[in-house]
Amino acid sequence: MFKKLALFFALTACSLIWAQQDSIFQLREVVLTDSQLKNFSDTQNTTKLNDSVIQKNQASLTSLLRYNSVIYFKENGNGMVSSPSFRGTTAQQTAVIWNGININSQLNGQTDFNTLTTRDFNSITVRAGGGSVIYGSGAVGGTIHLNNDVSFREQFKNKLQLNYGSFSTFGANYTLDVATDKISVNASISHNQSENDYEYIGFDKKNENGQYENKSFSSHIGYRINRNNEIKFFSYLFDGSRNFSGTIASPSKSNYLDFNTRNLLEWTNYSGLFTSKTKVAYLTEEYKYFENKALENFTTGSANTFIAKYDLLYNWTSKIKVNSIIDYTQNSGSGSSLSTNKREIGSFSLLFKHQVNDKLSYEASLRKEITSNYKSPFLYSLGGNLQLVNWYAIKFSGSKNFRIPTFNDLYWQGSGNLNLKPESALQAEFGQVFTYKKATLTTTAFYSKITDMLRWLPNASGLWQPINTDEVSIYGIEALFHWERHFRNASIQIDGTYAYTVSENDATNKQLIYVPFHKATSSVAFRYEKTTFTFQNLFNGAVFTSSDNAYKLKEYFVSNVSLDYKIGNKKPLILGFQILNLENKPYQNVLSRPMPGRNYMMNLTFNF
Amino acid sequence: MFAAVAVFFTSCSDDDDQGIVDNLPLGAYDNGVLILNQGNFGQDNSSISYLSNDFATFQNNAFLAVNPTKVLGNTGQDVGFYNDLAFVVLNASNKIEILNRYSLEYVATIDSGLDNPRFIAFANGKGYVTNWGDGGVTTDDYVATLNLTNYTVSGTIPVIEGPERIVENNGKLYVAHQGGYGYGNTISVISSTSNTVSNTITVGDVPNSLQVKDGSLYVICGGKAAWTMDETLGKLVKINLATESVTSSIDFAVGNHASNLYISDNTIFYTQDSDVFKMSLTASSLPITSLFSTVGQGVYGVYSFAVENNKIYVGDAADYNSNGKVYIYTTTGTLENEYTVGVTPAGFYFN
Repeated sequence: MFKKLALFFALTACSLIWAQQDSIFQLREVVLTDSQLKNFSDTQNTTKLNDSVIQKNQASLTSLLRYNSVIYFKENGNGMVSSPSFRGTTAQQTAVIWNGININSQLNGQTDFNTLTTRDFNSITVRAGGGSVIYGSGAVGGTIHLNNDVSFREQFKNKLQLNYGSFSTFGANYTLDVATDKISVNASISHNQSENDYEYIGFDKKNENGQYENKSFSSHIGYRINRNNEIKFFSYLFDGSRNFSGTIASPSKSNYLDFNTRNLLEWTNYSGLFTSKTKVAYLTEEYKYFENKALENFTTGSANTFIAKYDLLYNWTSKIKVNSIIDYTQNSGSGSSLSTNKREIGSFSLLFKHQVNDKLSYEASLRKEITSNYKSPFLYSLGGNLQLVNWYAIKFSGSKNFRIPTFNDLYWQGSGNLNLKPESALQAEFGQVFTYKKATLTTTAFYSKITDMLRWLPNASGLWQPINTDEVSIYGIEALFHWERHFRNASIQIDGTYAYTVSENDATNKQLIYVPFHKATSSVAFRYEKTTFTFQNLFNGAVFTSSDNAYKLKEYFVSNVSLDYKIGNKKPLILGFQILNLENKPYQNVLSRPMPGRNYMMNLTFNF
Repeated sequence: MFAAVAVFFTSCSDDDDQGIVDNLPLGAYDNGVLILNQGNFGQDNSSISYLSNDFATFQNNAFLAVNPTKVLGNTGQDVGFYNDLAFVVLNASNKIEILNRYSLEYVATIDSGLDNPRFIAFANGKGYVTNWGDGGVTTDDYVATLNLTNYTVSGTIPVIEGPERIVENNGKLYVAHQGGYGYGNTISVISSTSNTVSNTITVGDVPNSLQVKDGSLYVICGGKAAWTMDETLGKLVKINLATESVTSSIDFAVGNHASNLYISDNTIFYTQDSDVFKMSLTASSLPITSLFSTVGQGVYGVYSFAVENNKIYVGDAADYNSNGKVYIYTTTGTLENEYTVGVTPAGFYFN
């Protein structure tokens, strides 16, 4: 297990090497379907969290990224609706990409990071900065990639993970991996539930209506027809039920149901210098909100997305790649407060990459959408990566990105505004990578100017409507650190992240609400023989809760510790014990919604 | 030190001897207005600001200053005065905090029997609180009656959908059915002796504010807005309370949706978007031009409104997330003072 752990962040600073490993002329054993993440992400920072990191963290995507990335999360109480702010942007300006497909909600434009179970994915990659040319709407602050690897490596593996802890929290995941060099089948099924009735430290109250339960099913199947053709099928289903917690001074009796499905069929053809991928995807999302869970009355919304995509990669020379993508997307949505509507978007992207030599590469790309719903801007990106000396490399990139209006923005009954423009963001970043033995430090300075920000504001008669209003200037710096050292029967690994982010409304010069100036994480893992001790810390700076910056939530510092013991080598049994919020700190990450104090978790992982 | 305090008190009582007795402050927050700041839904940030009648004293977070260990609550909706007490209705908290109206010291909490409480009035030694029940259910709305001795909900009076503002006159209560999540068009009459709905008076659509003056009930009905796709006219309706019948009804022009009726002396004041209007109680037509506009102060729709002591009080919710503003004008519309209050100033209650 620790060998895998040693890969933690290894790709952060080494994406140069990663890209160079790519060669289509040999049969690949493990195939990443999101090929642009591999081929066209050299000039930005990508951080890959592999399955051992996923296993060591709590099952929600919120929890994994909160402790292992610079992304800040606004969570309405433990397990409740959770939205990110990546590089000072809004919740709709971070796109979640499932096997190459953007899965942000068509209804509200964002992803609730508590409706994705991390155990269902082989790896999760954080790609910082703009990516709209490749990934479309919402790829402004950055993108989160949920990847399932199709492996044609002969294997038969079963894994069962169980965890049980405070507040009657229970989780289980079973994963099956079966593969020959011809066919690969993976299936993962997860269940998570919690009474979630933690105490509000310092108040004589409990989190009374916070129970949650969810099930998810993930599978991916690959079939190698012949040397030149592969068929892959990916499927993900999430079914969640949550009661929404109240606040310190108000009770709640509500319940919220999520039901999301994602299916993707892909045919890959390798033909000489060309690799083509023909993809068809169908996504559904549905929510039901019960203001009073004891009653039958609810409000609902649903959206379906059909995507057809043709992706052609041309290896012009061994150094030059040209990739064109034609995409047709059709969305339809309806709901209790939404009129039934459909929209169609066609897009064309052209990506170019030139690996000039071992030291220098650059990328250029463009995208144009055609749709009748809004005026779509021309998007582009340009970047370079230069290894100046063996311990120092620089990366730079600039791009134009966007976020399109959602179904709620356009079609909400009585309030929807059909004259909205997409939000657009012009961005630039400069990164430096320092490498010394097994230590890497990556620092990135970023700037972005967002115009036509979409906000819901009341008009003079009190009706709330979305309009394109603010301009926001964002700048800051990110630092990622990784160091590891191996001894004969021990090893140590240290990881850290830090972000300083200023995100100001140009009209008022005030920081956007719920964007901390400072956020830092650290993780120290020490292994001696079969025992691994991990110490995890999170510092979250103060955030403003009102746009005049008159009110703020204070900063917090939370620590977790875990101890893992491995029995057996080839198919090990792993016993784990964790203490979360070790110092029993009271903290809130959304006003009036306290988070849990000290709590405990036991883990058991069987490999067979 | 003690001597100094003694001297201070002595000099106070000297003032009393000089004839200011009737204005003797009953507490730090007497002789002024309590401003209820609603805060944001779900954020427990309701607060009370205080402004003295002479504008010499202004204080934000007055409740917290007096009761530092208490959280006032979530979405303050209304304040009702009864004897020495102030009843603060907190909509999302489903509770009423009872305070001394002059000192703001905490007295008691009513936190059971209420479901989406909205507004409060008093009659016959009892409190009456309108409740929406579940927002999505049209048949569970009611008026809760309060026992004012032990501070509990003593009973419920079922009413039709969306009871909002409530006023008392001669032992009867008049409840405006603004409509909750729908659109109402009636006034329920409740007898405080039988605690039942004794009559229903049909008015215009969306009755949003009402006041009793000289045996008549004046009601402003906003009408349905254009975005409902079923726009209707606003109306100013006058009801004779002796006969409980409509004696006059004046239509607003198409597209004019008024609110914030406030009668002071013999003058009706109301607002429409960002403008303040004024008319005589006896006028048979609406004013053609506004008294003044608050647009100069950047007010984008008057959120709360009152006219007292020959001053016009305008509450501006700004972006509903930042601290709001209160503007004080003369009755001719000259701006005299402005104050930054808490989030979303929702009402003025004069002590």
